[in-house]
Amino acid sequence: MIQVNDQPIEWKPDMTIADLLKQMSDVRFCSVVRVNGKLISSPRFDVTRIPDNAVIYLLPLVAGG
Amino acid sequence: MGPVQLNEIKAVPYERSEVVKGYTDRSLHIDLTGNDIRVDPIDAAVKDRFTGGKGYDLWFMWQAVKGTTKWNDPENALCISAGPLGGTPGYPGGGKSIVTTISPLTGAPIDSNVGGYFGPYKKFSGFDVITLTGKADQDVVILIDGIESQIKIFSASDLPDNAYELSDALTRYFDEKKPVNISVVTAGPGAENTYFGCLNFSWYDAGRKRVRYKQAGRGGTGTVLADKKVKAVVARFGAVSMKSNQPADLEALKTVTKTHAKEINELDGKQNRMSLVGTTHLVPIMNDHDCLPTHNFKFGSHPEAAVIGEDVYEHIFDKGFDGCWRGCAVACSHGVKDFSPFTGPFKGTRVFVDGPEYETVAGCGSNLGIFDAHTILEINFYCDAYGLDTISVGTSIGFVMECFENGLITTEHTGGLALFFGNRFGALELIHQMAKGEGFGAIVGKGIRQMKQIFADKFNADPDFMQDIGMESKGLEFSEYITKESLAQQGGYGLALKGPQHDEAWLIFLDMVHNFMPTFENKAEALHWFPMFRTWFSLCGLCKLPWNDIVPEDNKDTKEPAKVMKHVQWYADFFSAITGKKTTPDDLIAMSETVYNFQRVFNLKMGTGTREHDTLPYRAMGPVTVEEYESRQDRYDKQLTDTYGMDISGMDTAARVAALRKERESQYEQLKDAVYDRRGWTKNGIPTKETVQRLGIDFPEVLEVLAANGVQ
Ligand code: SF4
Repeated sequence: MIQVNDQPIEWKPDMTIADLLKQMSDVRFCSVVRVNGKLISSPRFDVTRIPDNAVIYLLPLVAGG
Repeated sequence: MGPVQLNEIKAVPYERSEVVKGYTDRSLHIDLTGNDIRVDPIDAAVKDRFTGGKGYDLWFMWQAVKGTTKWNDPENALCISAGPLGGTPGYPGGGKSIVTTISPLTGAPIDSNVGGYFGPYKKFSGFDVITLTGKADQDVVILIDGIESQIKIFSASDLPDNAYELSDALTRYFDEKKPVNISVVTAGPGAENTYFGCLNFSWYDAGRKRVRYKQAGRGGTGTVLADKKVKAVVARFGAVSMKSNQPADLEALKTVTKTHAKEINELDGKQNRMSLVGTTHLVPIMNDHDCLPTHNFKFGSHPEAAVIGEDVYEHIFDKGFDGCWRGCAVACSHGVKDFSPFTGPFKGTRVFVDGPEYETVAGCGSNLGIFDAHTILEINFYCDAYGLDTISVGTSIGFVMECFENGLITTEHTGGLALFFGNRFGALELIHQMAKGEGFGAIVGKGIRQMKQIFADKFNADPDFMQDIGMESKGLEFSEYITKESLAQQGGYGLALKGPQHDEAWLIFLDMVHNFMPTFENKAEALHWFPMFRTWFSLCGLCKLPWNDIVPEDNKDTKEPAKVMKHVQWYADFFSAITGKKTTPDDLIAMSETVYNFQRVFNLKMGTGTREHDTLPYRAMGPVTVEEYESRQDRYDKQLTDTYGMDISGMDTAARVAALRKERESQYEQLKDAVYDRRGWTKNGIPTKETVQRLGIDFPEVLEVLAANGVQ
């Protein structure tokens, strides 16, 4: 099980961030997520595997300085 | 350092005007040439039209300067205001100052929005805006004392010349017992000797028992203060509460303040964690999206960027409350204690560094090929202490390094410094030289526009290449984002009134990553709404970070998530609660549109403000060199074939660079047309007569300026 924005979601082996986002709605503006506190940006969504029990937050918008 | 010695040369008591519904309706004018001090009422019509903050600054500057005024003419005015909502404790970002002046870099109005307590203290002392004109005949310190109701001017000698020690010394001098009552505005020796001097705005950090500061960085506001021989402007005021602005509806103000602060307290930890890392989270994000300036904006990422981002600074930043305004829940103004510089006058001592923020890390780190968190701290420390803008410093030195690596300049010109990318010592040495106005640093301190001229005239450097790689527009150095793949952000920089600073529009992700604005019309609409809304923060004396750096959890379900409309509504409620004027989100845009167009006409008055001044160096649009093209060859080849339908099989890289350039430059010109049209401007980028009439700024002088530029 993983926690995504404080909600439990079933974890699957080899699940990537891109896989996770595909099963979620309204992620249009999500270009960065935090996985266990670490920032992962959209160019790496396909290749970043999610570990079991991960705590994930989707950063909704990147607004610049 | 001995005790501070100041000699009073003028003292004027005044009757403190109460703040009512966010306004004092008074302006303070100090002419330094004769030490003339004047307090004037502000007309209701001016208030209605210009709202406050930057609007007031520009209005009073317009009165002070002629179209021929240069930055160092005595009549140039340096204006500082707070805005009607500024000085609300507990409202996130609720206490900024706005500074404007005619810039030494651009020759036109520059504006800077800055933290610290000066703006609110000055307002509660009785003045919505202050203007400084003239020039003193000796170094002076100005005190606006809202506790004693006195304005004083002191002659000053033997003061520390750096802002770090001077802010501290003056804070303790003017209120030894209650240093929290003091805010100091200072420049520094770098401001005296360069064109991009900044101003440091202080506050007393009661938790750490030390003076902290934030910078009004852009465009040389510090250079103007130094030119007027003002060492510091000090505001003194006592307790501030939610009642200090005498809001029209105190309960409504408390409600909206609590709601916004609560949301930030709940969500910042799940989103950008700014209360822990400031804006350094942007370093890895920009790097991953190929937007982090590296080696003078040549590239957008670097494998070593991980060692200068949030992962490192989170551990270096001193723990504690870091709001640059009282009770700001974002609390992102971090610093580093017990830092020991390796170079310069503070070598081997222990200092506190305020920063770094993202812009400093990117500009003075990756852009110079410096991937060392501690060197960036040292550059940050000295830039602030010397009164230098870290953005112009970083972008200018990046330009110098690329010129050096390409043989346009050599050690013969640089006084022996081998200024290759990554030369940490060289970068620091240049900064020390800038502060003294000596050596090659004295040339770098003039900014990129002048350097291009000097390198071409004196060193025989190729002017066309320098035009392409010199990251300035309108004379101002770029802030720190790569825009090659975002046409909308090219507009965000090129069409910004003061020059390429991202505070008007930051559209890279909406455009490049989310493809949210595919057409020219979409981009033009964004380049209307976002600059207008962002302008509004400076009219009111607020920080924009709490608007969209922390986003409501249900934002994605709203009709216009990019605008974070829930927060926009809160800002309208905030404005209504303080001023008593029932205000909608559309009203906020209308307030800004008036001031925005007035500023464009002001540019025109100063001889800029037309299409030709909205030009960008090609590096902001695409790859200048074969090396750059080949570093992202797949991307560029694909665009030439798929987007532009070209057969590139017979083209070498140089031909492909040229073909892409033609397309991208043409797109930028089309974008200008679309934006001008949306803003109600002519094809030459000038507000039409109908536009200024609609906005109520059709004063005779405005119409004269338009007419002189062919707009009847
Ligand atoms: S959000 Fe950060 S920069 Fe803005 S007022 Fe708060 S602490 Fe200062």
